[in-house]
Amino acid sequence: MIALFVIGLLLHGLNFLLPALLRDSRRLNVASNLLNAAALLCGMCFSVSGLLAYQRAEYHFSLPAAGPVVIGFDGLSLFFLFTFQLVSLAASLYAIGYLRHYIERGLPVRAHLWFLTLLIVSMQLVAVAHNALAFLIIWELMALGAYFSIVFERDKEEVRRGGFWYFVATHASVLLLYVCFFTLHELTGSWNFRDFALHAAYDPKALAVILLTGFAGFGIKAGFMPFHVWLPNAHPAAPAHVSGLLSAINIKAGIYGIARLMMILPAVDPAYGWGLLAVSLVSAVLGVWYALAQHDIKRLLAYHSVENIGIIGLGLSVAWLGRCYGKPELVVLGFAGALLHTLNHAIFKGLLFFGAGNVTLHAHGGDIEKMGGFARVIPLTAVAFLVGAISICGLPPFNGFASEFLIYKSLFSGSDLLHGYAPLALLFSVVGLAFMGGLAVACFTKLYGIVFLGQNRAGAAMERQSEPLLSSVALLGLAGLCAAIGIFPAAGLRLVAPALGELGAAAQAGREWASPLGQLQIVFALFLGLVAAVYAVKAWLQSRTGVRLRETWGCGYAAATPRMQYTASGFAEELVKLGRPMLALAVHWNALGGVLPAARTFHSHCHDRMEDGWRAFHRAIGRFLGAFRWIQSGNIRHYVIYLFASILFYLLCALVW
Amino acid sequence: MVTFSSDPFSWLACALFFAGAPLFTGVVNKLKARLSGRVGPGVLQPYYELLRLARKETVYSTSAGFISRLAPVIVWCTVALAALLLPLGTTAAVSFSGDIILFAYLLALGRFFQILAALDTASSFEGMGASREARFAVFAEPIFFFTIGSLAIVTRRYSFETILAGISWYDPLFVVFVSVGLLSLFFLMMAECSRMPVDDPNTHLELTMIHEVMILDASGVDLMLYQYAASLKLLLYCALAALLLNPFGVFGPVSGLLVFGVTLAALAAVLALTETLMARFRLALVPQFLLFATAIGILNILIFTFSH
Repeated sequence: MIALFVIGLLLHGLNFLLPALLRDSRRLNVASNLLNAAALLCGMCFSVSGLLAYQRAEYHFSLPAAGPVVIGFDGLSLFFLFTFQLVSLAASLYAIGYLRHYIERGLPVRAHLWFLTLLIVSMQLVAVAHNALAFLIIWELMALGAYFSIVFERDKEEVRRGGFWYFVATHASVLLLYVCFFTLHELTGSWNFRDFALHAAYDPKALAVILLTGFAGFGIKAGFMPFHVWLPNAHPAAPAHVSGLLSAINIKAGIYGIARLMMILPAVDPAYGWGLLAVSLVSAVLGVWYALAQHDIKRLLAYHSVENIGIIGLGLSVAWLGRCYGKPELVVLGFAGALLHTLNHAIFKGLLFFGAGNVTLHAHGGDIEKMGGFARVIPLTAVAFLVGAISICGLPPFNGFASEFLIYKSLFSGSDLLHGYAPLALLFSVVGLAFMGGLAVACFTKLYGIVFLGQNRAGAAMERQSEPLLSSVALLGLAGLCAAIGIFPAAGLRLVAPALGELGAAAQAGREWASPLGQLQIVFALFLGLVAAVYAVKAWLQSRTGVRLRETWGCGYAAATPRMQYTASGFAEELVKLGRPMLALAVHWNALGGVLPAARTFHSHCHDRMEDGWRAFHRAIGRFLGAFRWIQSGNIRHYVIYLFASILFYLLCALVW
Repeated sequence: MVTFSSDPFSWLACALFFAGAPLFTGVVNKLKARLSGRVGPGVLQPYYELLRLARKETVYSTSAGFISRLAPVIVWCTVALAALLLPLGTTAAVSFSGDIILFAYLLALGRFFQILAALDTASSFEGMGASREARFAVFAEPIFFFTIGSLAIVTRRYSFETILAGISWYDPLFVVFVSVGLLSLFFLMMAECSRMPVDDPNTHLELTMIHEVMILDASGVDLMLYQYAASLKLLLYCALAALLLNPFGVFGPVSGLLVFGVTLAALAAVLALTETLMARFRLALVPQFLLFATAIGILNILIFTFSH
């Protein structure tokens, strides 16, 4: 089966040559994306069959320049490989239709397609590299691929700025990862993950360095608070298929890293678990609260990724606590919940970003206050987006519910199995999860209601527009997966099972841990049957009594315009105000005055306190380094003195040693 | 394991629940009318209203799409399925470990569609109601998890049926815990079922409404489904409270149902009395009211944990 994986990589490799072979951008777009899709299909055949008939495999070989490389296919790698491939496949199909609009506007896509392929290939390799050096090199390649894919419309100021946020964040992340992995190498004398895991005893202080740098490094990539600031800046800058890839899977590379570290390192200190729990809870609650305050569709979705990363983090921290306290049930429940949510979030966040891309194409911008009524314009996108919105709120019977159910269950079981203050802390986590559920409902009813329902606030025509076939296939396919995993969570658990097997706890936890998630399809079938039956009764009654269309009742006011509809800011305002002082709501308007007031404007936006904090931090660094700026005088004689001084210094050193 | 009850009484209880929900609303309304010195409509009035609506033509807004047509069905079905999870006097019709989570999330799904249907009509009045509903729900959801969730943690069981069976009435601390939890639950019910002092179901001004303004454009069968779902939801929360108050648990179908019925009647009286004595809060105060209920829940679990 490994042949399929290699064929996939070779097809991707072919794709690197394609921009040189095909002149016509339009054809290149179709060919390159279809080739990627074919490669990913091959790869998916490999990863799915690998997960279903699981057999751990590891391949050692040596590359001329890079030294020994280990490619490993264990449960965790295969699971993430599958997740990455699935969303990349959807993104490739989606990009064909989406990029066509840019090609028609005359934007060059040649380099973009090249870097997109680089991103997709390196994402897959990150998941399977079991050798720290290779991992770090591929990690950097992935960051480069992502950066150049983000700055597609680089003539725009905000795109360059968003790309820069990503660039800085990813390098801060990799710097910490160097410390983490080099420390591991120092302690174990090996670069292989397997040797890290087999290493007998870690010094607690060294372990603290490894864990803190590792969690922080991967946490920056994953977007845990307070490292999330790059997400809401980079996601809106990127074209929709790239934002989908970033949010659905690129940040999951961070989750993969944390999960990998949890697997290879001994869990001794529960403090890390509690710390991660607190960070996750804050990320989740504040993430969705910030999301609620956004007016830009992609920025909103980006903040929502922070929330979902927090939910995944909750599962991971319960797993860590389970290992520290020796409770295999908790390990399995927490880990399964986190991994399943990773897959689910990848699916619905990809779906939502692709849907958002279609919306922004038709609305000519991301400001949701200028949208409305898109359910008529792009109905297929509207249906798929609705499924994504329900899923991301964790509502039944879609996939978000399945994974959140597992995380709830892990928190409840934790409160049952652990002692002391732990049950109380976990109860508060349960309530926090419920609270963010309520906020997510508010956020996505706002987003869906303002964007897709009602009437267009910008006064655009509400006729149906064509949706590209392959984009719709990608969107509806992802929506179908949301429903499939939601109704048959057992299928999702099947994919997670090999990764759990690696933990060693799965065997001790017994087979009943997933109960009753595997059997919930009966309840959902009952629900869907009930919905169908009631709808049939309703339709029958309406066929007898009749249906009429009239304009909306405006309480007697006849001259209502679409701009009088409730706005997104109005919908969320009271909740956002309650989030002060963490959410700083800035309002700019000029008050009415005079007998015949002229036109007035009102503008409000919410800025992120943590982003302000980072900006202040960056300014402080700039000021500090500015103190040394006199060295760069620009006077050539000074540089000659520097040269002379440094040569003298080295000579002196040579003499002394 | 998901278990479907094999006891015919539990399905009978569900049937009675569905049939009796409008009656319960009628009883509350009648009691409320009598307490405020009016004669009031008969207790069967909600049934007549539902029948009347079922025979009416449905009018859809020209801006409304598939959401407005689907939402009433989803709203009704979520409440109906949630009702099957409660052990109504006997064992629950459908029960599994973790059904408390499904219960909360089903109601949230109904709310999701209710809000969307309000935004679907492009009416600013309904947008206002939708915004309020979304806002108050954010504070209502934690209350449920503080009351039922802490009961689950205390009893170490995760389905309604087993939680209720696990409450030991001989432990005075438990009695205090449950009764205080009940207070939070009662507050939650006022918010979720749009009762006073959170929302006034009988007000005549759209600007002051929450639930009623969201269904301003619903008519005919759709409005019937919304109103039926609203009375189901009211009975659902009252039933939950009655079950918590019922020290006989779920042991005998006949005595269980009997005690359950009597407690429900008592709750209807309390509800009517509260609504008669209290005026609606200013909307800005509602989050404080709900946070107060949350605070009670937090204190309750803290006291229980530290004295155990």
